Amino acid sequence: MERAAGGVSYQRFPRVRIRELKDDYAKFELRDTDASMANALRRVMIAEVPTVAIDLVEIEVNSSVLNDEFIAHRLGLIPLTSAAAMAMRFSRDCDACDGDGSCEYCSVEFHLAARATDSDQTLEVTSNDLRSTDPKVCPVDQARAYQHALGGTEPFDTAAAADQRQLRRGQELRLRAIARKGIGKDHAKWSPAATVTFMYEPEIRINEELMETLTLEEKRNLVESSPTKVFNIDPNTQQVVVEDAEAYTYDDEVIKKADAMGKPGLIEINAKEDSFIFTVETTGAITAYELIMNAITVLRQKLDAVRLQDDDADLGELGAHLVGG
Amino acid sequence: MNAPDRYERFVVPEGTKKVSYERDTKIVNAGSFTIEREDHTIGNILRMQLHRDPNVLFAGYKLPHPLQYKILVRVHTANQSTPTQAYTQAINDLDKELENLKQAFEDEKIRYEERPKQGY
Repeated sequence: MERAAGGVSYQRFPRVRIRELKDDYAKFELRDTDASMANALRRVMIAEVPTVAIDLVEIEVNSSVLNDEFIAHRLGLIPLTSAAAMAMRFSRDCDACDGDGSCEYCSVEFHLAARATDSDQTLEVTSNDLRSTDPKVCPVDQARAYQHALGGTEPFDTAAAADQRQLRRGQELRLRAIARKGIGKDHAKWSPAATVTFMYEPEIRINEELMETLTLEEKRNLVESSPTKVFNIDPNTQQVVVEDAEAYTYDDEVIKKADAMGKPGLIEINAKEDSFIFTVETTGAITAYELIMNAITVLRQKLDAVRLQDDDADLGELGAHLVGG
Repeated sequence: MNAPDRYERFVVPEGTKKVSYERDTKIVNAGSFTIEREDHTIGNILRMQLHRDPNVLFAGYKLPHPLQYKILVRVHTANQSTPTQAYTQAINDLDKELENLKQAFEDEKIRYEERPKQGY
């Protein structure tokens, strides 16, 4: 029973500040945690947050120049709106069907039929020609066009429709496709993340006393030595100031420059090991905010799955007595 | 041809335990946990959380081989604790941290959406 009481908690209380939040983009600061947590979140966002993507294609007619496998692969890569994916079932755990698209819990069926008639123009077939049987799951571009038609504020680029192929006169493409829930670890087509990155927040300190010993020319050289625009010279006071600390790429160039000028310690730059700046971009399958929240949920589910079960916890002597008694 | 199925990476085969614990035969309060179908995501946060526990004398994890989809987490604790106790504590703390983080995000989103209204 002593073990049930457990020890004291060594929990952390991370803080968050959102800098920018758009449908498919987010930039935020994460503080008071460590790199392992930041990296776990990044890894989960890329490879373990579920989405829906086309996984099975039955081609009825294909007289286009592209072969069946090529088209099936392209269909798989179309991002589909996946807000419902967290609540869906994986086909492999679905007991209502065999994952063949006959059940609403784990799959969504799509149809595509296109035929170039007698005109001399080629017919462009895109993701806009896919017809979904479930309004919740459709190609991202169709959803955006719909939002736009309803008076959405986001600008919409009609040329953005994915998966183009061209049909010449008399060529036809007709197929049935089944989209399933999956994760990026299985195949990258299921990854909702376009990019997820984080960096340590840099802390830059300028030794003002030592800086005063520099001539304006030397200051200029120092500022120029950084490949990214981290420093600048104040036009009024002619002092070196930090213009954009986050532009620093941990390249050490200014520090080397200061050393070469015979002024070691002129500038000190440290990575704050408990502060991270995240950039998240999604494919549009889910919003950036959903991606972050789902990543936290998925990571908690993963942690829950690795808890010791009563039967496999090696209770040692205590356990043996409990069972025996 | 003989490539393993992709789902092998994350589906625990039937009849296999997700987590098993094996005590060290020579050292008291030491042992290793074998976690099936997990990788650096879980391994590294567990290890770092175990390091926060002062009763943990050693905690490390390894992914023995990229095609063996399991990790080993080795823990050695002081006498006041046991590896299983420290392990469970670490998971509880991480879970609470994430619960907290989720709440922090929800609150921050509301605050973020309020910001422009106040500014202009």
